[in-house]
Amino acid sequence: MAVHSFDTMGTMVSIRIADAEISEHTADDSVISVLNELEHEFARLNEKYSLYRDDSEISQVAAGALSLADASEEMREEYARALHWREKTDGAFTPHRPDGVIDLSGTIKAVAIDAASKMLHSAGFDNFSVNVGGDLTTSGNQGLDERGWVTGIVDPEDRGTMIAAVRLTAEFPAMATSGSAERGEHIWLRPETTKDFVQATVIAEDIITADVLATAIISGGHATLDQITQNFAVAVMTVAPDGSLQANAHFQELIAR
Amino acid sequence: MRAGSAFLAGVGSAAIVAIGWQAGVGTLVSSLPQSQAAASGATTAASSSSGASSSTTADTSTPAATTAPVASGIADGTYDGAVVNTRYGPQQVQVVIAGGKISDVVVLQTQTADRKSEQISSRANPILREEVLTSQSSKVANVSGATYTSQSYIQSLQSALDAAGFTG
Repeated sequence: MAVHSFDTMGTMVSIRIADAEISEHTADDSVISVLNELEHEFARLNEKYSLYRDDSEISQVAAGALSLADASEEMREEYARALHWREKTDGAFTPHRPDGVIDLSGTIKAVAIDAASKMLHSAGFDNFSVNVGGDLTTSGNQGLDERGWVTGIVDPEDRGTMIAAVRLTAEFPAMATSGSAERGEHIWLRPETTKDFVQATVIAEDIITADVLATAIISGGHATLDQITQNFAVAVMTVAPDGSLQANAHFQELIAR
Repeated sequence: MRAGSAFLAGVGSAAIVAIGWQAGVGTLVSSLPQSQAAASGATTAASSSSGASSSTTADTSTPAATTAPVASGIADGTYDGAVVNTRYGPQQVQVVIAGGKISDVVVLQTQTADRKSEQISSRANPILREEVLTSQSSKVANVSGATYTSQSYIQSLQSALDAAGFTG
């Protein structure tokens, strides 16, 4: 198992490649090469979409120095993607800050995870996980004798412990967790933001769906949770302020036993 | 009367065993003392109205304890157990006493219809913590949680797992 961690987007990325090894003495060139490529892609997306950088393209748009119509094609496509998700979640997820500024950080991290996954596949790896600040996607198996990737969910009341362990496999390889107290700048404390859940975990076919829907559940509460479990093929578990859990049937099927 | 209450506590346990078997998983059953208390309550209250509609055996409206012979501890008849909440919804058993012994245990509420509708609607329902964390957690390779910063990563479970990955 090759494990590689690096700092980007204000958080840490942890990559695990089950079909590769990295040690002081041996380093497979293909592993080093794809990890380099992947780090560059995270850096590129961060430079372009971070509102913490004055020189980023999105900061230029926010400042009014660059109109959206004149922004890069990629920027416009990512904005369209975020608006599409706003529509699908009845507005519970939104790329707009209360002050009107466009903020794509709610989707870009997941877009980067998705890109990293594709790069690893292209480099010939089949068994890996890409975890960015607690949101992850997986491929294949974590070991010869371990099907899928056994993944824990952190207890929001005690970040040092886990409340659940699930097995991510080909059908549901991606998982994202949002919290009401997280640093994540894409959950706005709008007047209508609910306090129904302190944490929401969504497991889906892809990381973008999982990440957006986890955010939407925190923002929209019970009503959004019901809408999502009805309309999307996802596994969901939520934690209420009193610590009680809710999960749908899909989630219960994924519990690692 | 002591013998009677002790016996009924036993009925409560029997009900729990039966429910556990019905649900297929032992962990689904709620706390034992609560069930015992409710089952013991049947001594004076006999069965509640909830059992009447499902019951096809005996007249459950007659308080059985008032006519209970002291020697056998409990009169023949049909007694409803406590309603126990499981992941599949409330479950209740009915215990038939014949000759002072349990002759039959009938499940009153299996909630089959509700289970089906829950699966169709895919709603998220309450789930117990014991049901989601299993022995498999020792094999966890990643953790998912609300975003940690670069600074807080060092204290995160993920950093511990990453460190373990380097050496093991």
